[in-house]
Amino acid sequence: MGEPAIKLGGKKKSVFMDKVRELLPEGGNLNLCLTCGACSSGCPATGLDGMDPRKFLRMAALGMDEEVTSTKWVWMCSLCQRCVYVCPMKIDIPQLVFNARASWPREDRPKGIVGSCDMALRNDTCSAMGATEEDFKFVVEDVLEEYQESQPEFKDMKAPVNKKGTQFFLNQNSREPVTEPDEMVPLWKILDLVGADWTYGTKGWAAENYCMFLADNENWKHIVEVKKKAVEDLECKIWLNTE
Amino acid sequence: MISPKLVEVGRHLNINLVTNSEVKSIEGEPGNFEVTLTNNPRFIDPDICTGCGDCARHCPASAVNQINKGMSDQKATYIEYAQAVPLAFAIDANVCIGCGLCENTCLAKAIRYDDKIRETKVTVGSVILSPGTEGFDPSDLDYLGYGKFPNVVTSEGFERILSAGGPYFGHVMRPLDREEPKSIAWLQCVGSRDTNRCGNGYCSSVCCMYATKEAMIAKEHIHGDLDCAVFNMDMRTVGKDYEKYFLRARDKEGIRFVKARVHTVNEIPETGDLKIRFADEDGEIKEEIFSMVVLSVGLTIPDSAVQLAKRLDIDLDQYNFAKSDPFAPVETSREGIFTCGVFQGPKDIPGSVTEASAAACLAGADLSESRGEDIQTYEVPAEIDIEGQEPRIGVFVCNCGINIGGIVDVPAVQEYAGNLPNVVFTDSNLFTCSQDTQEKIKEKIKEQNLNRVVVASCSPKTHEPMFMETLEACGLNRYLFEMANIRNQDSWIHSKSPDLATQKAKDLVRMAVARAGTLKPLKEKVIRVNQQGLVIGGGISGMNAALNLAKQGFKVILIEKEPILGGFALKLHHTIEGADVREYVKKLISEVQAHENVEILTDAVVTGFGGYKGNFKTELAVGPNKEKRKIDHGAIIVATGADEYQPKEYHYEDDDRIVTQVGLADILEDKGASDFKTVVMIQCVGSRNEEMQECSRICCQNAVKNALHIKRLNPEAQVFVLYRDIRTYGLLEDYYTEAREKGVIFMRFEDDSPPDVTTSSGHITVKTKDHILKRDVEISADLVALSAGMRAADTKELSGIMKLNANPEGYFIEAHVKLRPVDMPGEGIFLCGTAHGPKLISEAISQAQAAASRATTFLARPEIKLSAIAAKVDTDHCVKCLSCVRTCPFDVPVFNTEKKVIEIDEAICHGCGACAGICPRQTIQLGFYEDDQIECKIDALLAGGM
Repeated sequence: MGEPAIKLGGKKKSVFMDKVRELLPEGGNLNLCLTCGACSSGCPATGLDGMDPRKFLRMAALGMDEEVTSTKWVWMCSLCQRCVYVCPMKIDIPQLVFNARASWPREDRPKGIVGSCDMALRNDTCSAMGATEEDFKFVVEDVLEEYQESQPEFKDMKAPVNKKGTQFFLNQNSREPVTEPDEMVPLWKILDLVGADWTYGTKGWAAENYCMFLADNENWKHIVEVKKKAVEDLECKIWLNTE
Repeated sequence: MISPKLVEVGRHLNINLVTNSEVKSIEGEPGNFEVTLTNNPRFIDPDICTGCGDCARHCPASAVNQINKGMSDQKATYIEYAQAVPLAFAIDANVCIGCGLCENTCLAKAIRYDDKIRETKVTVGSVILSPGTEGFDPSDLDYLGYGKFPNVVTSEGFERILSAGGPYFGHVMRPLDREEPKSIAWLQCVGSRDTNRCGNGYCSSVCCMYATKEAMIAKEHIHGDLDCAVFNMDMRTVGKDYEKYFLRARDKEGIRFVKARVHTVNEIPETGDLKIRFADEDGEIKEEIFSMVVLSVGLTIPDSAVQLAKRLDIDLDQYNFAKSDPFAPVETSREGIFTCGVFQGPKDIPGSVTEASAAACLAGADLSESRGEDIQTYEVPAEIDIEGQEPRIGVFVCNCGINIGGIVDVPAVQEYAGNLPNVVFTDSNLFTCSQDTQEKIKEKIKEQNLNRVVVASCSPKTHEPMFMETLEACGLNRYLFEMANIRNQDSWIHSKSPDLATQKAKDLVRMAVARAGTLKPLKEKVIRVNQQGLVIGGGISGMNAALNLAKQGFKVILIEKEPILGGFALKLHHTIEGADVREYVKKLISEVQAHENVEILTDAVVTGFGGYKGNFKTELAVGPNKEKRKIDHGAIIVATGADEYQPKEYHYEDDDRIVTQVGLADILEDKGASDFKTVVMIQCVGSRNEEMQECSRICCQNAVKNALHIKRLNPEAQVFVLYRDIRTYGLLEDYYTEAREKGVIFMRFEDDSPPDVTTSSGHITVKTKDHILKRDVEISADLVALSAGMRAADTKELSGIMKLNANPEGYFIEAHVKLRPVDMPGEGIFLCGTAHGPKLISEAISQAQAAASRATTFLARPEIKLSAIAAKVDTDHCVKCLSCVRTCPFDVPVFNTEKKVIEIDEAICHGCGACAGICPRQTIQLGFYEDDQIECKIDALLAGGM
């Protein structure tokens, strides 16, 4: 292997994992690992960059902070939670991954995610693809009209924008209005058939939040607040986020 | 195995079996409880039902067979299984369509459609709760596929698949296509050690062993190769001789034990095979395909038991096990109500049987004043005189489920037996040892005027006494019985050659029939029992055994080789639960000292031994002056204890910073832990190695206990535990979880690469390898604690004098691991505590109570019958060569210098026959095994033309 021995013992140091434990309810159970490997056997990111969830947690437990906070693997994990689902000790490995991401200097984090987060911050649509309020309204109305005409059984279907006081405020991933507008329609149809009372908003309509995946807590919070305000301004009762 | 116990309970005169009933309430106090029972309707009168099964054969309504875990059907009129006691059918009212066919069919007129829920009351002095366990239901663990993929079964289901009475009659097949599996995976800890998906934080204690056993049996039953893999976190083979079994499974039978927990089981739809993906010990992702997956489900307390506990006001713990004190393991929170088995905590069969005796001991102690009242005695019918009758032999051939019938052609053996001389009747049975077959045998003895009986089945060691009782019950002398062991000596070992096995079964039956013809009635001598007990060893076990026997009203002499009582416990401080051991021992000593029935002799060693069961004579040297003392007693309880191994490893002998766990506990008690920055513990020192194969059972919890103690005293101290498997079985698992929660790091090493410890004046360096990262680790420590295993106390001299058998590790051997776990092979001799094997204090206490209980059943009888299997000398033809005197391993034959004859006292004779074999003039005959009774077997064998 050639790797130097891991030195342990001596006076106890405060380690990265202890700080994360303090942030989480029940400490995320991070101490409880039985090293059974159920997480690794079900993880889609196992083996990438020579890492897997069990090794990652083990390094954190042994206080190998340098490795834990520098491995690129944390960006390969999709935070899908398959590991937590079967872990006999319900260890919140995704939270450990998330906090390891947060320890990276912002400029060193993956460019794609940084770019998407920054784009969402540009205007109040929160769209990671930079779609504006006007663009969104236009696309929705245009697509709706097209379907009302071509499919007579849906001639009365609605896709309201900025309708006040509805039951649901619906979010929409930016990818659809920007690149695949037809993909928005199936959900409209369902909502129409069940007679749901819903609306889009021109502000805060984008469902995605790359600032969260970036572990950029401040901007993650900002994005959530913008969306929350949009829901409140329209006096909608339930915020439906499809992401 | 459970069959003879069922039969014994069923036929016991003083056990009133009330089935299909629940306890509604218990009022009153210890010594006088009034119990209200709810008797649920059975719709068939069990007193009248003959168990013939005609009703079920005609019943048109089908239901899922719950016993067979849904893998077969049963009728609305059903019996749970063929050996059920009482052997009486019942009607499942939820399934019955009310057609009336069973009522018309039943010749005994036992059907009662108008049966109703009733309430009855019984008055008792004590109560024992043993509501048992049910396997965890994994249906909610969607990722394991149980209930979705047919070839995923639970271990309970797999037990049924292996069973002759199961859905496939003992042929190992998978449910989907009834094909024989080529490979089976066992997934351990399903419903155990899991606080996420099921909330069962405890270890179920039994699954590692039963999975290993199931794999071994499956390999035996399958014709051809079978790949078995057991996916586990830790293998917890902590019981006596369990480690050896595990090693045999792994090294000799090739069963794979994989350290991995599987994430998801997927089915390959085309084949029904199951795909498993796991991270192996090197962290590599592996994918394997198995024909079947067995989920090793844990033990849980059924909801009915929880409701029962609520009604009776019994405290339960967070997992619904009955709460108990480590020093009072079988007592519940309500006085006079005792418990045993899994309801007390997860445990295996030997532990449950032991605890059952312990509970019986305490329940009986409360009633000892009135022992013998309110009981029925058994009247053996007058013996039929067979003098002058020609032998009329009945032969009963057993299928033993498929144990015999699956290999040996039983109908052919039966037919063959029918043509042998003197045989007037033959029969074959699924299980000859079951209750219904006993009744059948009795019937046939009377109907056919049988005067000899041959059973061709299994081992006389376990079953002969039961069959002999069956003979007695219809007036035949018990010695007119012979067994042919066509299972252990035939079907089990010749399973690959069924034709030859059938031929051998015929030979064995022919031999047995020949011998049966020569048997004669024998008289058993009745002797008085000296109703005093001797307990050897004054530790926690010995003191508890003595005290409990004394509480049953018997005089007890308790001897201890040291000048003070207390034994090894004097070196301990607290149990893992935090209970104060020294306080307890102090209290126990004063209780033993104060009891009028106990005489304590310290500084006492056994110097001589003689006599026989019920009438032992032991010589002692007592006190500093070695005063001689002779004691007469009827029973013996051996409680000689064990010590901590004194390590030669890891510089223990030359560096005082390297201590054992017992030493560490002393340090923590005296000086605290504020000086420690880092402590390393090393497990399995002196256990699970070449010198001592066995696991010492208690060291893992000991390490966890001390690690937690360090963390309590000094949370900043770092503790590393280097282990091979963490074996915190049962409820101890919670402490292992707590230790990890407190930051204790556990690191696994393989037995071929133990840690390396080097000492210097500054600190100690421990080198090992992290089992997850596969990287070298160097820990610099202030102290290293070695989890030194247990060693049986040196009892060579004692066992030489008293002729007690110990295993190679020095632990005494019980008569039967499961059926008689605290009896020794010699009658009237019992065993408890660490003299039997490593165990916790709580386990030693219940075992001591169990030994006292078993000794009570022995001492409570004023007289006992001796076996008629004893040697007799024909003094007229004896030439007094003294060969017998020299040969007898028990020094029984003596030369009477006055009468000038050899004398053999039949009361002390063990019936081994060594003297009869060695006697050059053949003047010694062993009752039941006279020369002609053996020679005729040989003649019969040779007559078959070998």
